[in-house]
Amino acid sequence: MNENIFTTVCPGCSIACGMYVREKDDGTIDIDWRKDAVVNAGKLCRFGVRLSANLKNATSKVDGNEVEFSDAVTAAGKAIGDGAAFVSVGNTTCEEHLALMKLAESKGAVVNTGMGAFASIPAECHPTMGVGVPLDAIESAKKIVLFIDPYEQYPLLVRRILAAKKNGATVTAVGWKAVSLADENKTIDPANYGSELALDSDSVIIAEINPSTDPDRVMVLLNLAKATGAAIMFMKPFVNAVGCDLASKKTEQKSLDQIIAEINDGKIKTLVCLDSDLIEIMPDETAVREALGKLDNLIVITSRASAIADVAKIVVATEPFYRKAGTVVNAEGRVLVGSGDGTDGIDAVGTLIGQPADLFTELNSAVLATLGIDVVDERVVPAYEKPEYGAMDANPTAEAVETALVYAGGPFFWNGIVDDNDFVEMNLDMVTANSLLKGIPVKLTSDKGEVVIKYKVSDVAPGVVLSNAKLPMTTGMVTSVTVSR
Amino acid sequence: MDIGDCYVGWATDEDIRTRGASGGLVTAMLAAALEKGLVEAVVVLKKLGEFEAVPIVTSDPEEVKAAAGSMHSVPIVLSRYLEYGTKVALPAKPCDARATIEQAKRQQVDIDTTYIVGLNCGGTMHPAVTRKMLETVYKLDPEEIAGEEIDKGKLIFETKDGEEHAIKIDELEEEGYGRRESCQYCEINIPVMADLACGNWGVIGDLAGKGTFVEINTEKGIKILQNAIDAGAVEITPADDKGKAIRAKVDGAMMKVAAAADEKYLAPIEGSHLDYYMNALADCINCGACKAVCPVCACGEGAKCTEFSSASDTYKMSLFHLVRFVHLMDSCIGCGQCTDVCPVDISLTHIYQRFARPMQEEFEYKPGMDMTTPPFFGVDLLEEGQ
Ligand SMILES: Cc1cc2nc3c(=O)[nH]c(=O)nc-3n(C[C@H](O)[C@H](O)[C@H](O)COP(=O)(O)OP(=O)(O)OC[C@H]3O[C@@H](n4cnc5c(N)ncnc54)[C@H](O)[C@@H]3O)c2cc1C
Ligand code: SF4
Ligand code: SF4
Ligand code: SF4
Ligand code: SF4
Repeated sequence: MNENIFTTVCPGCSIACGMYVREKDDGTIDIDWRKDAVVNAGKLCRFGVRLSANLKNATSKVDGNEVEFSDAVTAAGKAIGDGAAFVSVGNTTCEEHLALMKLAESKGAVVNTGMGAFASIPAECHPTMGVGVPLDAIESAKKIVLFIDPYEQYPLLVRRILAAKKNGATVTAVGWKAVSLADENKTIDPANYGSELALDSDSVIIAEINPSTDPDRVMVLLNLAKATGAAIMFMKPFVNAVGCDLASKKTEQKSLDQIIAEINDGKIKTLVCLDSDLIEIMPDETAVREALGKLDNLIVITSRASAIADVAKIVVATEPFYRKAGTVVNAEGRVLVGSGDGTDGIDAVGTLIGQPADLFTELNSAVLATLGIDVVDERVVPAYEKPEYGAMDANPTAEAVETALVYAGGPFFWNGIVDDNDFVEMNLDMVTANSLLKGIPVKLTSDKGEVVIKYKVSDVAPGVVLSNAKLPMTTGMVTSVTVSR
Repeated sequence: MDIGDCYVGWATDEDIRTRGASGGLVTAMLAAALEKGLVEAVVVLKKLGEFEAVPIVTSDPEEVKAAAGSMHSVPIVLSRYLEYGTKVALPAKPCDARATIEQAKRQQVDIDTTYIVGLNCGGTMHPAVTRKMLETVYKLDPEEIAGEEIDKGKLIFETKDGEEHAIKIDELEEEGYGRRESCQYCEINIPVMADLACGNWGVIGDLAGKGTFVEINTEKGIKILQNAIDAGAVEITPADDKGKAIRAKVDGAMMKVAAAADEKYLAPIEGSHLDYYMNALADCINCGACKAVCPVCACGEGAKCTEFSSASDTYKMSLFHLVRFVHLMDSCIGCGQCTDVCPVDISLTHIYQRFARPMQEEFEYKPGMDMTTPPFFGVDLLEEGQ
């Protein structure tokens, strides 16, 4: 009957919806709706609603054997030497991320957020790529252009866009699949965005940056925003991607692809991942598993049991996200803190760098200083400087394949969870052209193998098979496939 | 003390009496029930802010005492937090009480060991709406609010500087603010189905604002009130006839207001019904929150509505909804929880009530009013001349 109630945010995406987690005596949890949460008025998408079914706590391990937390930390201390590489994509608090940065610095390294686009786009653009616009501002936009599917990828944006429509906004969607709330759904060549979209300073562009995003696509959109005066918001799949980006020094960051390449080249022998499961996040799961297998040491500091924890040499299991003390910054730049007071991850790093006492307080002050605030007030979005940037040459690579399996993304996808996303979508032409039968699953074949999966007929672009679930035979976010019965 | 008796009561503890919404009677009764072992646990709202509270199940009388006061911007149904087999008491708006009774019919609550301390209810507001209303209509900073009350049809906010700011609820609701839509047409103000019905209506004279009107509805009601009197936690005096008449009159007036809202919001659908429902549900993202939050739904994971539907279906309107609309026709109490939590802001209660009201009227069956189960669906409507 006794339970601890935590005020927290959903770890599913960078909207960071407010919620309560009720933790029972036996450690099981229930979620509850926090109706006074400013971000989401208590509303949650399926990921948030089903958090208790899908969130599994990690266990500390060394060489596959369960160990005490302190033993895992000691083992990690021995294994992490100079030359180790560090990754934290933003699935944890700013303070834990900063702690990892301290550890990396002590080994002469940096922490990579893995967002390749940041590494290859001029630094003057980073503030615009990082913090988006306040969610309230979406509601007062006159025109909204979507380069995402809000229903699937960022569900709590849907009500904001609907509210904007009620206020008179028009909505154009440019994507793989028609979205029903858009007034028009279009396929546009990036070269013609400017002429076809007719944006101005009352417009908001909503797009996404994830670790696999082509930097040229981001630059095209940055150019579009600059040329038209439209506001731009890049959503991120990880709850604190924005906070971790703000906290990071972005010098010489590597993309996840680069890190995998360097592991394969033997340049990286030890990899430390903080709440970052590369097997789940990267589209070519087999390639990632192969590369990770070549490491001398894979050290995973994580709150969540996930695929990478099963193959790691050392797992330092920290408390679940809702129990952590610390700060999160969501896609609109809003700073949020929960009621948790756990500091396992920070204490672990404190032990490793020989600074065990009250590292949290120091890191928390550093975070607030970086954000330019004295105290966290969830109802006030801090002001962020967004410097002017110059127009860039950008040539997005055309995904020129005849039939492409495309990952749409979404909270379940990025967390490697199969829930109600166990099917692919394609349009009726593709179904007829390949003589698919109703109710009989489709076979998708790539160079790497095949999968048999349920399909749904949707208004998807010609030649596209859309998936929200990770499939074993893909080589990238877009994979050439053939479709058959 | 008998069923049907009406009293005005108050907490003997001055602190509880002052912090209580009217006389602190409810808090004192709940705390005494714990202290004297009448119950093992009490469900109350733990206050986290002026517009935020979270239901807790507690055995600590101090937590119960800390929860004194009415929170009009916390529209939560407390019955979902009850556990079968625990001797428990809860404060209950009519929707809380009705949900508790419906859960008892589904063996989720043991009605014999559950003390339902009813609260009259004129309605609740969604905190996000309250905040926006304060900023745009009252021109007040929500963080400056120190208290709120409803008096003579006005919603009054007190600011930290001691000033009162009153606006007519009708005017607020005209502009889309004020009470939730479901509360506007909720026709039950006095929880006659609870063990006790407590409120401020009918408290007049010197006791106005310092006493709680309480009507005894059941033996359990007598027990929990007598327990508090025996413990020296509350004092009562018989309610006078004038007070009773005023209470009945206000109740009647509020029922008329609800009937008008019913006509406004639940007017017959014009045009194609299919289009109406398809449009209303077009943005559903299949989150399942409306089912998870519904206090009268006891189906759990393997329910008809979820088993018969899948995100991979291409139906224009998912079977999840169709099954639920029909399945809840006999049990939807119009509590508004589904609308509150819908991430795409679908007015779900509205739709559920469109299905439920005609059926419940036809069979003269109102869920949650007592332990009788609904009449069978198998009645031949054609034979009845429909
Ligand atoms: C939303 C709301 C609307 C009301 N409207 C009317 C009305 O129109 N006319 C009338 O006569 N009386 C109304 N009441 C009842 C009245 O405000 C007092 O609750 C009642 O008179 C008992 O007073 P008290 O001092 O004994 O209660 P208290 O000692 O203050 O105890 C109140 C108890 O109610 C619980 N509570 C507070 N807010 C809520 C909530 N939102 N939902 C569930 N439980 C809650 C608290 O946890 C506490 O245990 C309303 C109450 C509420 C909560
Ligand atoms: S996954 Fe994103 S949109 Fe969904 S509840 Fe979590 S934070 Fe909100
Ligand atoms: S539904 Fe009825 S009982 Fe429940 S909060 Fe609204 S007005 Fe009160
Ligand atoms: S369907 Fe909605 S309004 Fe009806 S009882 Fe369930 S949650 Fe309440
Ligand atoms: S709460 Fe809303 S979005 Fe979620 S399943 Fe119900 S109707 Fe659909």
